Amino acid sequence: MTESLPALVFLVPLAAAVSMPVVGHWKRSACRPLTAAAAVAMTLLAIASLCSVVAFGPVRYAVGGWQAPLGIEWVADEVSATMAAIASLVGLLVLGFSGPLGEASLAGRTVPYHTTVLLLLAGVVGVIYAGDLFNIFVFLEVVSLASYALVAVPGGRALLSAFRYLMIGALATAFYLLGVAYFYALTGTLNIADLAQRLPGLLESKAAAGGIAFILIGLAIKMALLPVHAWLPDAYAHAPNSAAPLLAALVTKTAILVWARILLWGIIPANAGAEQILYAVVSGLGIVASVGGALLAIRQTEIKRIFAYGGIAHVGLVMVGLGQSSTKATAGALYYLVNDAVMQAGLFIFAGVAAWRYGVRAIDDIAGAQIRNPWVIAPLVIAAVGMVGIPPTGGFVGKWNILLGTMEAGNPFAAGALVLTSLLTLGYFAPVLERIFRSQQASRTGELRGALGWPVRLSMAVPAGLVLGLGIFGDGLMSAFLRVVGGP
Amino acid sequence: MPELLDAAIQRPNFVTFILLLLAGLYICVSHPNLIKKLIGLYLVQNSVIFYFVTISAKEGATVPVLLDPSRPVQAEAFVNPLPHVLTLTAIVVQVATLGVSLGIVSAINKRFGSFDEEAILEKLQ
Repeated sequence: MTESLPALVFLVPLAAAVSMPVVGHWKRSACRPLTAAAAVAMTLLAIASLCSVVAFGPVRYAVGGWQAPLGIEWVADEVSATMAAIASLVGLLVLGFSGPLGEASLAGRTVPYHTTVLLLLAGVVGVIYAGDLFNIFVFLEVVSLASYALVAVPGGRALLSAFRYLMIGALATAFYLLGVAYFYALTGTLNIADLAQRLPGLLESKAAAGGIAFILIGLAIKMALLPVHAWLPDAYAHAPNSAAPLLAALVTKTAILVWARILLWGIIPANAGAEQILYAVVSGLGIVASVGGALLAIRQTEIKRIFAYGGIAHVGLVMVGLGQSSTKATAGALYYLVNDAVMQAGLFIFAGVAAWRYGVRAIDDIAGAQIRNPWVIAPLVIAAVGMVGIPPTGGFVGKWNILLGTMEAGNPFAAGALVLTSLLTLGYFAPVLERIFRSQQASRTGELRGALGWPVRLSMAVPAGLVLGLGIFGDGLMSAFLRVVGGP
Repeated sequence: MPELLDAAIQRPNFVTFILLLLAGLYICVSHPNLIKKLIGLYLVQNSVIFYFVTISAKEGATVPVLLDPSRPVQAEAFVNPLPHVLTLTAIVVQVATLGVSLGIVSAINKRFGSFDEEAILEKLQ
């Protein structure tokens, strides 16, 4: 039973998504309860899967009963099980918050919205668990197609952003597939663990270098690594409020997880002296992306764009961690990745509430809006503290381990970039927070819309609670991550 | 350089693959028309599939169906079915991408009355 849990986590949203058009045709108001029920079931199953992994060790699920390396393998270790639980939880939170925002932001597309959200969640779970290069390709495409559709929902300007996102995203998956084809031609296997067995001795060949390069280019576009990030800010700024947190929290993060999996489980174990170059490339790309993303974030005036560029900077930080030869840094990077998903969800939920209830889109609007509700301010402050990396948040645990790892690996530039990015992060959160606190004295010029019901309050409070929880009770999880990447 | 040229002439399929890929990328970047951009994207995707077909082709081999289980299996007489199945799946995924992209382009055309990116950007100003 416990070894089928990953498959169940995937099947629940898929089944709900497939049955959604029928249910929606019968009764439109039934869409939201059905989606919420699927998300709750998925979250419970994902947490059960995480508990069973922690208690009984990693699960390798052979899809259809065909054993790896011939069949497709799904791997549920501590990292992927945690990520799947976080992904399901974020899905649940976004649903809790999308209801009150109303049909307005969806332009009446209730049935397609719920269907695509569930498909996105199913695809994300698939990418997280899949241990097979081609299977990852298929699920990446499921995630991408769902996110193009979600970006396009409001119509108008968003359509063009969605189209550009689609062009770049589809090219990225084509490059990824080409890299997979190179590896397949070279080794005759698609299973990542099997790849590590067959690569030694072949890693110096041009085909392997080409495969790694194409996979990295494809995934770099998907994770919006700095020089190829241009699609992200537009897509996230124009996406509907009820979809942006999902995209920001899950889509880019799953691409980094895939890269971490291929790098740490496929290529590095097959080391043949080439890994030093690879580490240098990944770490260098990460340094550029983290500092560059943070600098760009400071220049933004629109709240969603600030958070979007902040997300780009944090993708760079995770890459810095993955590009160190110390296991402490890689485990820290994976831990930071989990945290980043939670923080991005919290930030974009805040941005959605600010736009919907207070009519605040740019930081200059804050002065007249007078955001006073502690349920809105406290989660933002906690998320900001987590993004900067101040204890006792999960962001601190991740960053601290990456920093220790860069020292261990003797990489002062990476350590410097990490510290610099943290300071710059403070630089783009300070104006937002400062304006919110200063506006308390002024009088409100705008009007409040809607009411903050319990679902919205909970979906703001839970990410904040998780950020704190991952910081205070994160030691156990952090040492589990260390075990997964093969450290002490 | 002569060795490179020699290697290229001996592998016409790889040359075709590279030409298709580059042509597709060029069309994606250079044409303002959204439909033509999609055609470029389709060329890039097809070039990858063409590469998959190239590496899975095998001369003098047949479909992997075991007709007589009593005789020992001769692996070299059969084509490896896996890359062909991968190709098939990749084509299905492409069709889905094409469907979504045409849907978005048709919505853009309904909203802005044009397929030309520059004209649409002008209307957005």
